[in-house]
Amino acid sequence: MAMSLIGPDNPLGHPAPYWFLVLFKTLGFTLHILPMHLWYAGLPAMLLLRRHGGEHGRRTADRTLGAMPVAIAWGVNLGIVPLLFTQVAYYKVFYPATILMAWPWLAIIGLLTVAYYGVYAYALGLRAGRLAPWRVAAGWSAALLLIAIGWLFANAFSLMANVDGWRGIWNATGFAGAVLGTGLNTADPTLWPRWLMMLGLALTTTAAWVVFDAAVLGAGETPAWRAWASRFALRLHALGAAWFAVTGAWYVFGAMPETGRDALAAGGWRLVTALTAVAPGLVWLAILIVARRAARAAAGAGPTPGRAAGILTLGAQLVVLALNAVSRQVAQNGELAPHLDVAAGRVNTQLGPLVLFVALFVAGLGVVVWMLRQAAAAAAGRRRAGEEAR
Amino acid sequence: MHYPWWHVPLLTAPMLIAIVSVAHVYVSMYAVGGGLFLAAETQHARRTGDRAYLAYLRDHAKFFILLTVVYGAITGVGIWWTIGLASPLATETLIHAFVFGWAIEYVFFAVELAAAFVFYYYWDRLAPRTHVRIGWIYAGAAWISLVLITGITAFMLNSGRWPQTHAFWDGFFNPQFLPQTLARTGGALLLASLYVNLHAALRIREPGLLAVVARRAARPGLLGAALVALGSLWWYAALPASARLALVGAAALNILVMVVLGASGVVLAMLYLGPYRRPGWVTPGFAILLFCFGLAGVGAGEFVREAVRKPFIIHDVIYGNQIWKDEVESLRGRGYLAGGVWTRAWLAARHPEVVTPGGAVDESALAALPAEARLRIGEVLFEHHCNDCHAARAGLSAVAHLAGGWTDEMLRQLVLHPERVQFFMPPWAGTLAEARLLQEYLGSIAEPFPAGLPRGDQFKAEPGAGGRADAR
Repeated sequence: MAMSLIGPDNPLGHPAPYWFLVLFKTLGFTLHILPMHLWYAGLPAMLLLRRHGGEHGRRTADRTLGAMPVAIAWGVNLGIVPLLFTQVAYYKVFYPATILMAWPWLAIIGLLTVAYYGVYAYALGLRAGRLAPWRVAAGWSAALLLIAIGWLFANAFSLMANVDGWRGIWNATGFAGAVLGTGLNTADPTLWPRWLMMLGLALTTTAAWVVFDAAVLGAGETPAWRAWASRFALRLHALGAAWFAVTGAWYVFGAMPETGRDALAAGGWRLVTALTAVAPGLVWLAILIVARRAARAAAGAGPTPGRAAGILTLGAQLVVLALNAVSRQVAQNGELAPHLDVAAGRVNTQLGPLVLFVALFVAGLGVVVWMLRQAAAAAAGRRRAGEEAR
Repeated sequence: MHYPWWHVPLLTAPMLIAIVSVAHVYVSMYAVGGGLFLAAETQHARRTGDRAYLAYLRDHAKFFILLTVVYGAITGVGIWWTIGLASPLATETLIHAFVFGWAIEYVFFAVELAAAFVFYYYWDRLAPRTHVRIGWIYAGAAWISLVLITGITAFMLNSGRWPQTHAFWDGFFNPQFLPQTLARTGGALLLASLYVNLHAALRIREPGLLAVVARRAARPGLLGAALVALGSLWWYAALPASARLALVGAAALNILVMVVLGASGVVLAMLYLGPYRRPGWVTPGFAILLFCFGLAGVGAGEFVREAVRKPFIIHDVIYGNQIWKDEVESLRGRGYLAGGVWTRAWLAARHPEVVTPGGAVDESALAALPAEARLRIGEVLFEHHCNDCHAARAGLSAVAHLAGGWTDEMLRQLVLHPERVQFFMPPWAGTLAEARLLQEYLGSIAEPFPAGLPRGDQFKAEPGAGGRADAR
């Protein structure tokens, strides 16, 4: 007799309507994966570029690698939001899945700490202009650890939707009805394509970042370097998009349960799914335009792509990521549909705290923007002073 | 029960919470106190034009960022993950009750992060006034995040009126909120003082500058010590009766409290006599010793804070073994195994003959199972009902040792009325038949009475049976 392993509703009810919870979950995930992609695929890509990419490649890599500690800090910080709202709206599947693989899940904390310090060791060496072999080793170790962490995340989040797989892991790693927490979701066919798909998407984000960096942050660099960086971004994006297309097709048509596919093809979601599939191609076209303009500028035949080009490219990539986050959510809800209706359940809205949160969110954003503007103004002031001195 | 139970050999899963919490608090308190120190002292150094001190503060800010933004931030997530793994029902409930408290705390984290990076990376590029202002933004955001998380953790120790109202603000402004906020603010200032002394002693070569840094860092430390003392007294006064009794009644807690008091006294004396009065005393050895005493006091204090909650994980709401307080009554009627999603599924898979089609457990069929099966089910009951505090055969508070030499009747009383044996244990939440299976399991693993020790039943005379007091 196989009984359901889904627990009861929390008697407190949802503290906000489901749409609010899932909106912030998806928004938070979108914002999280932007910096996360930089360390996930960007770190190894830049380490390789620094080694094999010639003078311009090294310059490109140094700029992104120097920013990597800040990217990790923001990626971790922004990851709190989706995880928080996941635990409110999807607690019935989140806790069992992570407990079944408790040790690998908890190991992420240790691995991430080591990886983060590895990135800092590398970046500080880069900043000081002295990259000792141990710092290079630390950078590479961090890159490998971060990819491994991605695989562990893919395990946990695919296991959340693989309710039918829980019992097998429980049986294999059980102890007196409890679990040893040593399981992994390796028997799930969705695991590998999900993990690889994210790597492909991360390459496209890294490419969009390089365009942004060249057009916005690297305004003081030479036109030749900016043209090279845009061309490199175009190739990197093409690689990532192709990878994303192949692994995405594998995930959707070769591994995803039918209920997930049905959800992606249902009603208005069909359009979102189609946009999710084609949107990376649109960003590639945007990068192509930027690269051609940058090449013309390097040849002295036109102006350099301005800040707007960089901001638009990164903004377009953010839309790609948002579409991806929405489609993932739709697919996840579809995969869970045979086991639970995630939108059901009592709602007991905590209106006062909710309003306070939204108000402080806006105010906090304002303070952050003010500080970043101060920093940008300070950097511009120093650049101007340097140019005047020259 | 409602979630899979994570069996951590020897240690028990909840002990991981305490370990990760202590590891995090060592840095998270510094993240607050250090932020206040850096803001105030950068302002002072800029106002007085003390370039050497300013250079030191910049060096300290780098250390501060490397420690708090990396280790502090990630171990903070680590606590959250650990509580989700070891106490899923409590975590689920806390998140449902306070999701917007956490979300607001997140907003302040984001402000902290941006401020920390701009403060450090643009140190000499920002206008001095803007730089100082950003330092204060960091300090304010960090302190508010301390206030926010304290509201939630203090709720776990004394939930106040929340069990009746389930209202966010009743839970947040609980009786422990102000005392713990005061004590934690003081702890943050005190710990920051120790970190600065340690860092300065290891980094500064010029004795005059070291004296300036040590003395200036000692001031907030001494203020922090006063706040800790005040907050702790108030904390004690606002403890629920069970926690107050546990504090004085449990031997392990007595020892930890003595460590807290002893270490705090030493820290206070060293801070006052050394960095404050005679900063020349501050050497790397002195600073390391001071720092270690500080860590000992804070660490022991965190263990005490975690332990006095027993039998609850959330006071008056959820027991340590992941059962709602309101659920015990029904579990005693319909059975613990049938009441839990995972225990019921385990029983249905292993012993379908005792589970009815409706999911209930047939008590008589349970009692009729062969001895081996009964012991196995008893072990399952132990894992889910008791393993949150006790290992079985070996490890933390292993019941095999604690119940060594106990008779069947003693074990029966222990299972049926654990709270009478020790008031900080949760009540039994199963049927009589299940209690019998747990009793049999405990009896099967309990160590025998230690050889060589006299037992009361070996004496011929019954107590008070009229024998002569002096046998000689």
